[in-house]
Parts: sequence; C-alpha cells; structure tokens
Amino acid sequence: MPLGKPDVQTAAAKDFLAAIIASSDDAIVSKDLNGIVSSWNAGASRIFGYEAQEMIGESILRLIPPDLHHEEDFILGKIRAGERIEHFETIRVRKNGERFPVSVTISPVRDGSGTIIGASKIARDISERLREDESRFRLAALVDSADDAIISKDLNGIITSWNNGARRLFGYQAAEIIGQPIFRLIPENLHHEEDEILRKLKSGEKIEHYETIRIHKSGESREVSVTISPIRNSHGQVIGASKIARDISDRKKVERMAVQAEKLATTGRMAAAIAHEINNPLASVLNLIYLARQDGLSNQEIRDYLSTAESELERVSHIARQTLGYYRDTGSPSQVYLKDLMENVLSVYRRKMLGQNIAVDTRYNDLRKISVRPGEIIQVFSNLISNAIDAMPRGGRLAVSTNHITKEDGDGLQVVIADTGHGIRRHNLAKVFEPFFTTKGNLGTGIGLWVARQLVERYGGQISISSSVEANDSGTTITIYLPFNGSGRNEHWAKAPESNMGVQ
Amino acid sequence: MQLAGFNVLTDQHRPHLVGSHADPSEAEDRAAAHPRVLVVDDERILADTTAAILGRSGFRAKAVYDGFEALELMASFRPHYLLTDVMMPTMNGVELAIAITKMYPATKIMLFSGQAGINEILEDSKTQGFEFPLLAKPVHPSRLVEGLRTLGNI
Repeated sequence: MPLGKPDVQTAAAKDFLAAIIASSDDAIVSKDLNGIVSSWNAGASRIFGYEAQEMIGESILRLIPPDLHHEEDFILGKIRAGERIEHFETIRVRKNGERFPVSVTISPVRDGSGTIIGASKIARDISERLREDESRFRLAALVDSADDAIISKDLNGIITSWNNGARRLFGYQAAEIIGQPIFRLIPENLHHEEDEILRKLKSGEKIEHYETIRIHKSGESREVSVTISPIRNSHGQVIGASKIARDISDRKKVERMAVQAEKLATTGRMAAAIAHEINNPLASVLNLIYLARQDGLSNQEIRDYLSTAESELERVSHIARQTLGYYRDTGSPSQVYLKDLMENVLSVYRRKMLGQNIAVDTRYNDLRKISVRPGEIIQVFSNLISNAIDAMPRGGRLAVSTNHITKEDGDGLQVVIADTGHGIRRHNLAKVFEPFFTTKGNLGTGIGLWVARQLVERYGGQISISSSVEANDSGTTITIYLPFNGSGRNEHWAKAPESNMGVQ
Repeated sequence: MQLAGFNVLTDQHRPHLVGSHADPSEAEDRAAAHPRVLVVDDERILADTTAAILGRSGFRAKAVYDGFEALELMASFRPHYLLTDVMMPTMNGVELAIAITKMYPATKIMLFSGQAGINEILEDSKTQGFEFPLLAKPVHPSRLVEGLRTLGNI
C-alpha cells in the first residue's frame, strides 16, 4: 500500500462521518470531562433550540433541569471510568424552557493514546414516542374493557386482533381465532356479505350499524349490529378493517314481541270495528223477521220487513267479504292493487267516519299491481286511517291518494293520507315513529307508527309525516313510498331472524 | 227507507218540552199497564224495529237516533226505561245513561251493544260509580222484552 494513502483515507472517512453527524435527526454532541460542550450538530440545534455557537464552550448543565444536575456528576463519573451509558431515559430542557423526555446514549471519547478526554452524547427526543405509547396503552385498555366485540382483520379477511368483548360474544379465545378467516363468524348463507363489506372497505367506505347474523363458537347464531371502518397505514392506504359488533339478540327479541303485540292490537281494533258492523245489521234482521211473523200484517208490510232484512243481510255479507279476507294472509307476498287494500280498510271505518262527520276523498292512480304481503300493508293503512279518525273527533276531511312515481333507483307507489285533525305538535312530531311514544294517553300503545315504519322499510320503502297545529289549518299528512322491486329485499330481512330462532 | 207501521212510534211531532206533562196520577195509571221505553240507537232501522217490537209487547216505545235527541225527549216523554246503544257519535250510550241517572234517577237503564271494544267505556263509568246492565247485540226480540221486564221487577 503506497505511502500517504492512509491519510487520504482517514480524511475521507472523517468527511463521511461529519456528513452523517450533520444529517442525523438525533442530537449528537461532544463534551470534555468538565462537561463543556465541544461540538454540536444540526440535530442538537433542532431538538434543544440552541445554535452551535451558543452552546460550544458552554456547560452541558444548560440542557439539564436544575433538579437533575446531579445526573451529570453520575454521567461524568461513569465516562471517566470508561463506561458507556445506553438509552438512558431522562428529562432535558429546551432553550425555550420546555422540559421534554429524551433517550441518551453517552460514550467515552479517547485520544490517540487511549486516554479518555471527553464524551460523545447522542440524544433522541422521545416525547412523540411516549405520547404514542400512552395513547396506545389507553386504547388497548379501552378496547379490552369494552362490552362490544372489537376485532380487526386484514384485507384478506384474516383476523388480526380480538378483544375480551369478542371472546364473550363469539366464544373464541384470542389465541385460537387470530390468524383465522373472519368467515368462521359468518353463517354460510351470508358469506356474500363479506365480499360486499371488503369491496366497500377497499374503497375506503365505512359501514355503520349494519344488522345481521353471526355465528358463535358453539354454532348458535347471534343477532348483531356491526360497524366496520377501514384501517389505514401512515400513507393513507387501507390495510385492513376494524369491526365493532354488538349483540342485539335481546333487543331483536323485544322488537319482535312488540311487533307481534301491535299486530294483535291492530287485529283487535279491526275485530271490534268489524263486530260492530256485523252485529248491528244482524240485530236488525232478527227484529225484522220477528216483526214479519206477527199476526195481522198486510202482505205489503211483510214484504217491506223482509226486503229490509234482505238488504241488512247484504250489508253483513259485504263487510264479511271485505274484512275477514285479511286474516287469510299466508305471509307470502302477492301482486295486489294498493287501492284495493285501502278500500278494504276504509270500508271497515266508513261508518265510524260517517258518524263522526268525516268526509272521505279518494284519488287512486295506481294502475299497476305491487308485490306485498297484503296483511302487512292493511295493518299499516288501518293504523294510519284510525289515527286520522282519532285526530278528527269533531269531523273533518280525510284525503287518500295513490300515485305512481319514478325515482332514481326505480319506480314505486306513493300513498298519501291527509287529515284535517288537530295535528301533532312540533316537539312530538320527531318522536312519533319511536316505539312506545304516544300522544293518545292510555288509549295508544305507542307502537303503531313505529311498526308501520318497520313494515314499510322492510319493502325498501319510506314513510314520512308532516303536521300543523295552526288554527283553521291544522292536520297531519303521512306519505308512504313503496318501490315495485321492494319485496325481494324483504325476503332475507324478514326470514333470517325467524329461521335462526329455531337454532337458538 | 220508510217502514210500514213505524210512523206512530217514531214520534213525528215532538211534544213541547214545557207544559206538555200529562196529569201525574193519570200517567202512573197508564204506566202500570203500558210502561214507556225510550230506545236510542244511531242505527235507524234497529231503533225503529226495536221500538215497534216493544210497542207490540205491551210497552209504549219511542225511537230516537242520538243522545241529545234522547235528552230533549226525557222531560215530555218521561220514560220508565231507557234502552240505549253504546257506540254512538256525539254522545255515547254510557254518557247518556249517566246524564239520565242524574236527572231522572227513577229511570231504569239497559245498554245494548254490538261491539266488543266498549270495555274501556264501561270501566270508565264504573270508576265514576255507575254500572248499567248490558245486552249484547244481536239479541232475540223475545229476550230483549224479557230483559226489560226483569229490569222492571228488580
């Protein structure tokens, strides 16, 4: 090796080292054995706030909080003894007086003869890391103490984390389920849901309060409401999903019972109205026949009695045809005209409305049949009509119309039921679709409109209400939209819970 | 609809409310033979035929079609019996029965109804301290007559 080359190499190595030190994010500082700063890199300026010329020749104690000055004696002692201090976490002070956590590594610096002449110190600002650690610990504690199942999975649907709530809801320990496909929790007939969920997640969409069925380790099904959000890395790429699942089996059970109870209540109200409609003409018929049998009547008188009896019986059979047919509802959707269902309901209440001085105005423009379960829609109409009647104890006008309307996502039928009754106050209006809310005191069950909304929404439809309590212009209008293609969606929604009831 | 033989019973011309009382003692005599019944039902055919049947069964019966009409007629007709439907517009049968009990306590009252859903109304009257016998529609005319007679003997 030619002479002189080692010097060149040494110089190059020194430059290289200097470049590394200058570009380091960490503070790299050297000091002598008295603690006087002898070099100061750009990282040190960034972290501590002092420029090199402010610090070189100054005591390192400027960087140490007064209450920790004893640390420096300890550090210098170690250095003098030739020891190295690694990743020592402590507190330092910035130029602006702010105290902050650092991790320091301090090594002795020796001269050519091996004598220790000072120390190099690498300090890293760890305030960010500590903050992250803290929030991570907090989050972990939160996740673990949550009642809800909180699960994360990657974009292949592989489970990557599993909290205590998940263990309680699904029965699996974290160790046995992490690394497994999320499909283990999804009933086979709903596996298509996961594809849809993953598709949405990949496009960054969030899925909120989606009610569905999941499977417990034991094979039993659980009704859950899930909220799924994409997890992104620091570059904003979606790398997985967090899923929060809540057990809603109990709530669903109560809801089903409430729906059932309301069905019975509606049926009861209809039955009472029907009984009245049938028993009155029957009583007349009994009277008329009794009278016709009396002695001493002319033929004309007898004929009059009997023909009146006949027309009263016509009334009975009309009511029976119109009303008792409802309850033959088999539960499967059939093609019907909404107009016919509405007429059935109106015929039950017609006499009541007559007695209460309510004029009925109907406009039907639904020339197309729609696929619904007639019993359900009759229940909805019956509920709305009887609400309208209750709102008009001193008479009024009931306007009912059906119209074919076209929306972005397809055609449907709109039913509008408007009364001129006392109206609903604004602060109550927002609550009328809530379960167990009633403005009718003891007479209302408070679930009629709620059930009406459930039924309408099952068909992918909508129900809305507007109302005014202004004198001379009061009244309530209910608008229902039912799409023609709605009953298909209905099938899955309505049947899934029932079929799972059997498993439980 | 015009029914044979009803005109006499449905009281075409109403007696005036004031000054039309018959002599009380004479009224009592006639009452023993022909007790008066006021029939109230918004079903006109039912009200009319019921009054006709009662008329043929030894009562003097008048039919009216709502509670206010009934109240108006009370002073002049002075019925011994009130037979009233329950579910009627404007004033229900129980409200009418309570009003008449307060104004004419001697009147014997029978409700008749074709509706199952009147329990609340009856409960309501019970809490006010009033209870009335109830006949369910449809009822055979002979049982109706029998029911009224029984009521008279209590």
